[in-house]
Amino acid sequence: MLRSRKSPRSTVLIVAKAADPTPSPAAPDFLLPLWRAVVVFRLFAWVVATGSFAREWDSYPDHVIPIVLLALMAGWTVVVTLAYGTDAGRRSRMAGYDLIVTVGFIAANGLTQPWADLHAGAPVLTSLWATGPIFALAVERGRDGGFTGAAVIGAALITVRQRLGDQEIFNTTLFFVAGVTLGYAATTTRRATTRLREALAAEGAIAERERLSRSIHDGVLQVLAIVRRRGSEIGGAAAELSALAAHQEVALRSLMTSGPTTAGGRVDLFATLRLRASSRVEIVTPAGTLLLEREMVEEIDAAVGEALTNVAAHAGDGAQAWVTVEDRGQHVVVSVRDDGVGIAERRLDDAQRTGHLGVAQSIRGRIIDLGGTVELQTSPGAGTEWELTVPKSRP
Amino acid sequence: MGADRAQEPTVTRVMVVDDHPMWRESVARDLGARGYEVVGTAADAPGAVRIAAAVNPDVVVMDLQLGSTSGVDATRDIVAAAPDTRVLVLSASAEADDVLDAVKSGASGYLVKSASLDELDDAVRRTADGDAVFSAGLAGLLLGEYRRLQDAPNDAPTLTERETEVLRMVSRGLSARQIATRLSLSHRTVENHVQNTLRKLQLHNRVELTRYAIEHGITDDSG
Repeated sequence: MLRSRKSPRSTVLIVAKAADPTPSPAAPDFLLPLWRAVVVFRLFAWVVATGSFAREWDSYPDHVIPIVLLALMAGWTVVVTLAYGTDAGRRSRMAGYDLIVTVGFIAANGLTQPWADLHAGAPVLTSLWATGPIFALAVERGRDGGFTGAAVIGAALITVRQRLGDQEIFNTTLFFVAGVTLGYAATTTRRATTRLREALAAEGAIAERERLSRSIHDGVLQVLAIVRRRGSEIGGAAAELSALAAHQEVALRSLMTSGPTTAGGRVDLFATLRLRASSRVEIVTPAGTLLLEREMVEEIDAAVGEALTNVAAHAGDGAQAWVTVEDRGQHVVVSVRDDGVGIAERRLDDAQRTGHLGVAQSIRGRIIDLGGTVELQTSPGAGTEWELTVPKSRP
Repeated sequence: MGADRAQEPTVTRVMVVDDHPMWRESVARDLGARGYEVVGTAADAPGAVRIAAAVNPDVVVMDLQLGSTSGVDATRDIVAAAPDTRVLVLSASAEADDVLDAVKSGASGYLVKSASLDELDDAVRRTADGDAVFSAGLAGLLLGEYRRLQDAPNDAPTLTERETEVLRMVSRGLSARQIATRLSLSHRTVENHVQNTLRKLQLHNRVELTRYAIEHGITDDSG
């Protein structure tokens, strides 16, 4: 009798423990430098705005309103600096409020100069400072944030100028380029941070599994192996105990090695297949891991499971099976071989005619859906061998 | 192989290294019952190296997790000190990387601890005869290692097409005899192919270690 998989209650506990999502270890937030740049830019831009005002002193008809506005801009700069400097501020909708308030400041330019003068090219008090929200939005929301910020600030400045000249088009284009580029950079950085976090979590899980497996290896497994060996020597009822111990030993060993490692929605094929080890099934894989799309791993695993069930049903008593996984670069090749009675060619034809080849068709269907191929070799007395070849990336 | 053994006048001298006393005694007793002379046992790497040097066994049955010390280190030191001593790794399948390191460091075979006494007996006898003990698991690890080396930049060893074919068949659980029949080769030729795949890796490992030593200005008179 051959069972493809058995996980007794006592060992399931261990799996659950090993597979528990470990608390995400502290990974550095790579977005932090970008936020710092946004804040420093804003402070610098305020200094520039104040400097320009001093330089253009004579072109302002009144000096009280601009000075009050500059003071308010300084106040808002302090508010956003504090907000962007904290986790909570970065995660909230602060960049959106920043955009609205800044548009208000751009509109307030109308209080500093007559609209006709602004149209004619008089200095705009908010100048470079007004572009701050574009960058904050880009860092917070990625490409779309940068795009939105550039569109709103560009439109506000064009409205204040009441014209669409070369200068306005040039400035707005620059806003778009800067906003979208920074947005992309922020998105990429955010992904990198997530990946790193996952990698650190996986590393923690592996370390935990190793710790567990070492202690299990030194104790439980050794005793099981001894029970198995001694039991089969004594014979009789002890031989039964020996067989039970043997089964548990293999099951526990494979559970320790596996606990499928995942990262970024991908699953380790080697570890997944190793769970199918039993005293009658040997799983042979290279060292390390082979991460593939979750769906692909599940389909391959299911196909292997069906092949093994078939072995158990038809290969005969005492048949041994080997599941061998080979990474061949573009493809992964999984072989399921048994040393059982095999299938005579005539019987295979009969089966095909009477529609008893359900298993073969099911396996074939799964693998072909993945863009792969299936080969079946069998002859009487020489067992059967399935060879599943699957491309690692979908066609 | 049976014939070879019959011609051998002396009993094969075996040493057992494992940090678990119950397991160590059990293996030693079993091998003794099968006609081997167990000349020593050890529980950790330094002890294994010291005792192996003193008793000079034919075969060392080596576990890889030896408490805080490593069976890989012990294997390397024992083989370096006495090239005639053969090391058979008997380990839990959980240690794929350790097993690879051990065979690269000179172990001539690998068996999982769940192997039966008959399998262990057979493996020790073949190791003593100078054959490489290739389980399907070891073949799978080697195939993976050669695949990894393919992407390595420097002059890494590669397998011939025939060697790959043979190694692949071993990894699928076929015996040397079955492979010989399938490929119409002699049994000895198949054994040679299999051993070559191991030797190439061991040789490569030694070259790499030497290169590392030279690059880092390490000179070792004894090595």
